[in-house]
Amino acid sequence: MPKCTINGQEVEVKDGSTIMEAFSKLNEGIAHYCYHPGLSVAGVCRLCIVDIEGNPRPQIACNTVVTEGMKITNKSEKIKEGVKWVLDFHLINHPLDCPICDQAGECGLQDQYMQFGKYSSEMAEPKVKKHKVVDLGPTVVLDSERCILCARCVRFTDEVSKTNELGLFNRGDRTEIGTFAGKPLDNNYSLNTVDICPVGALTSKDFRFRQRVWYLKDSETVCTGCSTGCNVKVYYNKEGAFRVKPIYNEKVNGYWMCDEGRFIYQWVNREFRLLKGRKKTQGQNGWQEDIEAGALAQDAHKAIKAAGDKLAVVLTGQYSTHEYQTLLKNLPTKKVYHWKNHPEKWEEFDGLLNRGDKNPNTKGLVKALSEASIKTDWNELASGIKSGAITTVIVAGPENMAVYGDLEEKIQMIGAAPQVIWATACKSNLFDKFSGNVWLLPMKSYLEKNGSFINHQGLEQNFKKATTIVSEALTLEEASYLLSGQSIPLPKVPSVDTFIETNRRPDQVTLEHRKKNEFVYKRGSL
Amino acid sequence: MSVVIKNPEKSKWYLSGVMGGLVITARHMVTNLFNRKKMMTLNYPEEKYEYSPRFKGNHVLTVKKDGSIRCTACMLCATNCPAECIKIVAAEHNDPTVEKYPISYEIDVLRCVFCGFCEEACPVDAIRMGPEWQTPGINGSQFIYDINHLAYRPQLKGGVVSVVDESERHKSGI
Ligand code: SF4
Ligand code: SF4
Ligand code: SF4
Ligand code: SF4
Ligand code: FES
Repeated sequence: MPKCTINGQEVEVKDGSTIMEAFSKLNEGIAHYCYHPGLSVAGVCRLCIVDIEGNPRPQIACNTVVTEGMKITNKSEKIKEGVKWVLDFHLINHPLDCPICDQAGECGLQDQYMQFGKYSSEMAEPKVKKHKVVDLGPTVVLDSERCILCARCVRFTDEVSKTNELGLFNRGDRTEIGTFAGKPLDNNYSLNTVDICPVGALTSKDFRFRQRVWYLKDSETVCTGCSTGCNVKVYYNKEGAFRVKPIYNEKVNGYWMCDEGRFIYQWVNREFRLLKGRKKTQGQNGWQEDIEAGALAQDAHKAIKAAGDKLAVVLTGQYSTHEYQTLLKNLPTKKVYHWKNHPEKWEEFDGLLNRGDKNPNTKGLVKALSEASIKTDWNELASGIKSGAITTVIVAGPENMAVYGDLEEKIQMIGAAPQVIWATACKSNLFDKFSGNVWLLPMKSYLEKNGSFINHQGLEQNFKKATTIVSEALTLEEASYLLSGQSIPLPKVPSVDTFIETNRRPDQVTLEHRKKNEFVYKRGSL
Repeated sequence: MSVVIKNPEKSKWYLSGVMGGLVITARHMVTNLFNRKKMMTLNYPEEKYEYSPRFKGNHVLTVKKDGSIRCTACMLCATNCPAECIKIVAAEHNDPTVEKYPISYEIDVLRCVFCGFCEEACPVDAIRMGPEWQTPGINGSQFIYDINHLAYRPQLKGGVVSVVDESERHKSGI
């Protein structure tokens, strides 16, 4: 365990650690681009130079191993001057189109420049022009001019996703990132390259131009995409959620997350959500719309009371453990069934993060059921409905319906019961297939409540509420209180959209002006 | 607390004061009728006051030489606006040299405080504050100026051309 001194502070590091690791152990700031703790060391950006006592030339911190008694500093005048000039080299061909660059506001180049640079450029030569707006694949767009050639993305596809789509082509200042022979960057981890790109060279098609990053707030939570439970940060503002990025957790996901999980946020936005309660009464045509969620749940309570012991509950692994426990305590029935979507795929694993069980909390549900000593078989539900032993079914339906391929089939099966109380966060046309009495309760999504998920390894992870998107929605916990006839304070509903409705115009550019603006232009070869 | 002092003796003679006032009014009326140049007021709306061309009135979105919108939808103006009255929706452009452009640009001019910060923030001279100041409307939504009004309203006679011209930059490669 060698000891070294960094900027006057002594630190002991593991054998074979690099100076960079010693810096991050001390939380000392150091300029760097190409170093990423989750990737191999490339040492190409030369920005992490430090002074080592007794060494005549600066060394790079990311590729120099700490030896006993090393005295290291990055605060000396020589290093400050050096970093400034390395930065100047990085900016020689950089287009500096920050105003239209999606990375602006969270850009490594901007940050380092504010910290170490602040000089005027000494370059009079024209900048080398490279390809802009290159379509790398279904998820990522490349702007070669902004690329600083740190090769993080190349190393990622090489070492982590092991798909090897990206490479460096040409030499010198004409080097460009690209894909070989038109093979697109198309894997389930491709958007991680956008996260690790320190500049705005790689941007995500999904997020591109939708918001400036400084309009977004972030909050840490757990991904609900599968039973791995990656730790993520959700970026949102009052218009809804916009993107998801992974955060480091050694035990669960390391530095990465899959693309599938990144798109889960879309289901929580208003356009996909059930905003108000809906009810359908048998014999009547169409739905009664816009019923306040709390009132609807209290209404459904009457039906539950009348059903007595002909009540059954169906649970999916998409709610938090605490919600299951409260629900099982509140509802007086042992006929609780676990709805498993494609259980034959549950053991699948792609070798990195993504698992076949697309429910974040299957283990939590199993735990809550065994705590309440409930042991049931799914087939009993079908036969119970058929024989009339079950007349009323409460369903805690899936939040992310896209992974429930059996939704239609299950709606038909459960819809055979005369009364169904379906709790759901999202709307779906499939609900029109119900023939009996139906209560549709709007639920809160995972961003709008506190709770915990137990992932596939049995690790319990808490998450906290980030924001409110549908103010009237209930948590399963609140719904279970109301359904069992207890009264709780209901969420207050602010009247939204009080301002003049004519303010909303989607696309205002008239066709004539658009045509002028949208001639397709090809820039030709480099 | 106010005390009202009633002076019945004095208030009997109010008539002379009223008459005095009417005489002044009549004198001004007669001078204005026969000597209109000396008149202090304007006959608005037939006559209008001309402010200096540098007056910061209603916003104008400038255009490029080909008549398309200059704005790059960078949202720096919206970020800088203290009244938060600019709303922009950006989109991807088909032309790679343009990349980003606004499909919607709205200024809620009733909230605007005419500070000119938007103009100052813009890196490409895409928004300017023009000399117009008479902009009546009959309901709230008419004061939300959209992109077509800001850039192509008839008063602008086909649009104001921006001083920042990128086509030169593309040609020289800088
Ligand atoms: S990569 Fe960074 S420095 Fe370059 S244009 Fe984008 S925000 Fe600006
Ligand atoms: S695209 Fe981004 S991550 Fe890849 S080499 Fe360029 S700057 Fe680095
Ligand atoms: S003038 Fe000031 S208040 Fe008005 S839009 Fe511009 S920045 Fe906003
Ligand atoms: S008007 Fe100027 S500052 Fe505002 S979005 Fe357009 S380019 Fe940016
Ligand atoms: S971080 Fe060390 S050379 Fe790039």
